[in-house]
Amino acid sequence: MATETTPSATETAAAASSIPPPISTLAARKPTKFHVIPSRNPVKPIRTAFAVYAPPPSARAVHPEPLVSYHAQQIRRLDRSGARTNLFSKKNPDAAKPGDVLQVTTNRGEPFAGVCLSIKRAGVDTAILLRNHLTKVGVEMWYKIYSPSVLGIEIIWRRPKRARRARLYYMRKPRHDMGNVEHLVEAWRRSRNVFSSNKGRGAQGKGKGGKGGKGSK
Amino acid sequence: MAPRLPARWAASLSSAASASTSTSTSVLTTRVLLTERHALLPRTAKRGVKYGWSTLPSRSRPARFNQVSAGLPAPTAGPAAALKRKEATTPLRTGVLAVKTGVSAMFIDGMRMPCTILQMEQVEVVAAKTRAKNGYWAVQLGLGHKNAGNVTAPLLGYYEAKGVAPKRHLAEFKVRTEAGLLPVGVQLQPDWLKLGQWVDARSNSRGMGFAGGMKRHGFGGQGASHGNSKNHRTIGTTGPSQGGGSRVHPGKKMPGRMGNERVTVQNLRVLKVDNEMGIVVISGHVAGPKGCVVKISDAIKKEPPAQTFIDKARRILLERNPDHEAKLEQARLRHLELKDARKEGTIGEAMAATTALATAAATETATV
Repeated sequence: MATETTPSATETAAAASSIPPPISTLAARKPTKFHVIPSRNPVKPIRTAFAVYAPPPSARAVHPEPLVSYHAQQIRRLDRSGARTNLFSKKNPDAAKPGDVLQVTTNRGEPFAGVCLSIKRAGVDTAILLRNHLTKVGVEMWYKIYSPSVLGIEIIWRRPKRARRARLYYMRKPRHDMGNVEHLVEAWRRSRNVFSSNKGRGAQGKGKGGKGGKGSK
Repeated sequence: MAPRLPARWAASLSSAASASTSTSTSVLTTRVLLTERHALLPRTAKRGVKYGWSTLPSRSRPARFNQVSAGLPAPTAGPAAALKRKEATTPLRTGVLAVKTGVSAMFIDGMRMPCTILQMEQVEVVAAKTRAKNGYWAVQLGLGHKNAGNVTAPLLGYYEAKGVAPKRHLAEFKVRTEAGLLPVGVQLQPDWLKLGQWVDARSNSRGMGFAGGMKRHGFGGQGASHGNSKNHRTIGTTGPSQGGGSRVHPGKKMPGRMGNERVTVQNLRVLKVDNEMGIVVISGHVAGPKGCVVKISDAIKKEPPAQTFIDKARRILLERNPDHEAKLEQARLRHLELKDARKEGTIGEAMAATTALATAAATETATV
């Protein structure tokens, strides 16, 4: 249906004699395309035709995925060093993963530590779900990793074996519940103190957690 | 009708005149009452019913009962009254069309604000509806691009006359007065909206298909047990019995098609406008799936943006489209030419001539 016309020489010659005068004034104008609606009559193949003007420049052609651009823009604004992105990046082998114990420091109250049950990846709205036991009551907290009120996220303890699920909701069941992670936080704190001192005799298995914790800042 | 008694002052005049001259009273009365000015009334306070002055309209010219001159109160129904009534809730200027591309969040001053990201894709003014011609003031906007092969011939002619490429969607935005109209062919950009202003977002909600009473209207359903048999989610009774007329009242909520209806979300804030990406970010959520068309307009329940901003946005818009008038005029003239050619069946020749001239002009410029 949509055929752009490229008139043959005979047509042009035939037309030259029968051009109505106003059409000659069209010469100066920008060439626009015609949409031809053909007919089945072989003698008169063109039923009718309409001039079709060029559309304005398209924002969608340049930015086909504005949501992705929006996320990138907002993350650049909120995470200038890229550390937070790197901490949860799938490309980073040392990234935090579900099953690791993380500690989130916010601009109010005490830091919250807990096992990461899931990472909800949604660009600038990416969030982590941490679970801990406080006063023997299970507590779960969602944290937006790019939120300005989140001052720091540190890896306290790495799960020895990678979890084979992305969502570890089964850890809410008593059989799989990790319980309180306070002992892990204590161990991490002690190991970090060892590293910060000049004695340098704490190169045991807990070095990894300390390293990750530093990297997250 | 009994002959009207002459007023007291006229009677005295006529009696005085008859005393002096022997002419009839009627002539004298005529001379006094009907002068070339015709509005001559005596300078006397003694006018009114009790002096014999009739306040009734003369019977020969009955009052026109439904005319402007009849002195009736302004009608409370009808087109003019409707426009007047809706004046306060009609925005001063047009809104914009945009495509919903997704939802996210924005952190503003440390607070997380859920937001919707919309993209304005080739939004152009296609037509202006006027009070004189259409009965109301409105701006018709078009969004996106449509392949000419998918557009019907009448609409192709419509776009040809406007000098605008065929649009994927068309929508109207009512405006309060003529001052809100925009010239045809100008392209609207996201900065038409002011950062932080209040807007209303109108769109069609997601279609849910045929839904039962519980989902569609929030009915309670029925018990799981106590002898209930296969009626756990049914709506139950639909109306009263014999005392109530033994009928189902019109408008009874029942199962049926749910969703895919126009939903307006009022009073959302504009959080971000970006001309380069063509996006508008507004707070909160807007009905409908990703890819649906959203009408964003100034909120009717909040103050519109300042008049200085409205003027500025309009000035910028016109500066960006400096030759819109010439373009439109050219398109109109050309449309008339092509229309005649179509009627005469010489569209092929007209088309060929245009293309030949265009190619000639192109080669000429190329050689130069």
